[in-house]
Amino acid sequence: MSRRAVDAVFQGLFTLTDIRVMLRRTAPLHDLSEEDRRAVLKHLADLRQQIGILEEELL
Amino acid sequence: MRCTGDIEVRDLEEVAINIDPIQAGGRLTADAMKAIIAYGDGYSVCDNCRKPFRLDHIKKPPLDAFHHDLARFVGMDEARVMPGARRGFQAVADTYVEKGSPVLLTALSHYTEFLAIEAAGGVPREIPKDAKNIITADAAASRIEDVTREFGRPPALLFIDHFDYQFGNEHQVREIARAARAYDVKVMYNGAYTVGIMPVDGKELGVDFVVGSGHKSMASPAPSGLLATTKEHAQELFRTTQAKGDITGRAFGVKEVELLGCTLMGATIMGMMASFPHVRERVNRWEEELANGKIVIDALRSIEGTAILSEYPRKHTLTRVDTRKSFDRVAESHKKRGYFFTSALSEKGIGGVIPGATRVWKFNTYGLTKQQAEYLASAFTGIARENGIPVS
Repeated sequence: MSRRAVDAVFQGLFTLTDIRVMLRRTAPLHDLSEEDRRAVLKHLADLRQQIGILEEELL
Repeated sequence: MRCTGDIEVRDLEEVAINIDPIQAGGRLTADAMKAIIAYGDGYSVCDNCRKPFRLDHIKKPPLDAFHHDLARFVGMDEARVMPGARRGFQAVADTYVEKGSPVLLTALSHYTEFLAIEAAGGVPREIPKDAKNIITADAAASRIEDVTREFGRPPALLFIDHFDYQFGNEHQVREIARAARAYDVKVMYNGAYTVGIMPVDGKELGVDFVVGSGHKSMASPAPSGLLATTKEHAQELFRTTQAKGDITGRAFGVKEVELLGCTLMGATIMGMMASFPHVRERVNRWEEELANGKIVIDALRSIEGTAILSEYPRKHTLTRVDTRKSFDRVAESHKKRGYFFTSALSEKGIGGVIPGATRVWKFNTYGLTKQQAEYLASAFTGIARENGIPVS
C-alpha cells in the first residue's frame, strides 16, 4: 500500500476542486483578481507537488 | 466533454452565471465537492456504524453531532436528515393526517405538499392569496373556521411556505402560526426557500415542524433536506418501529418508521454536512444577497415594459418577472422568435432561463458575487438596448 499515493490523489482532487470553484465564482469571464491569481499559483504548485509524489510512489 | 459514454460533463456553473430559480441555493461549496469525492460510494458513511445502528447515532464521521447542530440551526429540539423537503412533508402528513382529515395549505403551496396530504388520505383545502399574492393570517383564520364547519373538526395540519416558489413572496408565517395555535392546529413550516439561506428559528416563529431542502437552499446534493420538530412532537414523528416478524420473531431496534430507518447514507449527507459550516455562516449575509439581487431588479425595472410581479421591494432573491411588453415584443419579429432572449443571454454567458421564456419567468440571484450581479444587470439592459427597447 502506498499511503502517500492515496493521499496525493485526494489532495490533488481537492486542489483541482478549489480551482473549479474559482471558475464558478468568476464566471462567465474568468477575470481573476490579483488575489485570485496568487491563489491559482499556490494551487498549481500544490498540484505539481502531488504529481511528483505520484511519480515517486507509482512509477 | 464527457464524463463517460453518453454522459456529458455538466459545466453550466463553470462557464455561465446560472440564474435558474430552483438551483441557486443548492450550488455546492468546495468542501461539499471534496466530501463527495471521498464519500461517493454507496453506503460510505456506514464504515463505523455501531449499535444502535442508526444514521443519527454514527460518531465517525460525526453525524450524531450534525443532527444536533441541525436542530439548533432551525431553533428546534430534534432534527433528522431527509431525502428532500417533500419526504419531510410526507413524514408529517403520515403521522398526523388520518383518512378523510382536512388539511390546510395555500394557493401558493408546492405540489409536493398536496401529494403528501393525498398519500396520507387527507383532504386538501387552500388558503387563498390576497391581491398582492400574499397569504395572510386573516385568510388562514377564516379558512380554519370554514374547514371546521365543513368537516366538523379543525384541520389536522396547516402547511405554510415562508416564501413561496411562484413569486418568492414572504407570507405571514408568525401571525398564521399564532392564529393556528388559537384553533389548536399544528403548523408545518416549509422552509425550502429559507432554511440555509436566511436565519430561521422555528420555535420563535411558533411552528410545530420545520422542513428544509438541502439541494434547494443548503448547498447540498439532491435529494437532501431536514425535518425538525419540538420535544413535544418528536416522540410521535420520530417513533420507532414496533413491527415484529410473525415467523422469525425479528424486531428492528430503534429504526424510525417515518424515515424507513436510515435516510441519507452516503454522498448526500456528507455533502450536506461539509457545506453546513458555510451555510450556518452565510445565512447572516442575507442582506448582502438582497442587495446584489436589487442591482439586477433595478436593471430590469429600468427596461421599458418590464414588470416585477413579485412583491416589491424584494425580500427574496427569487423573483417573477413579466417581459411580455419588452423582450417578448422583440421576439415577435426576431428571426429566433421566442428563443431570441435565451439565446442572447447565452451569448453573454448567462444560463438557467428556460428556452422560449420571454413572457413571464423566474430567476434567482442567490449566491452571485456583486461583480456577477452587475454583469447580469448589464447583460439585461444591454440586450434591451441592442434590440431597441428603451432603458431609463
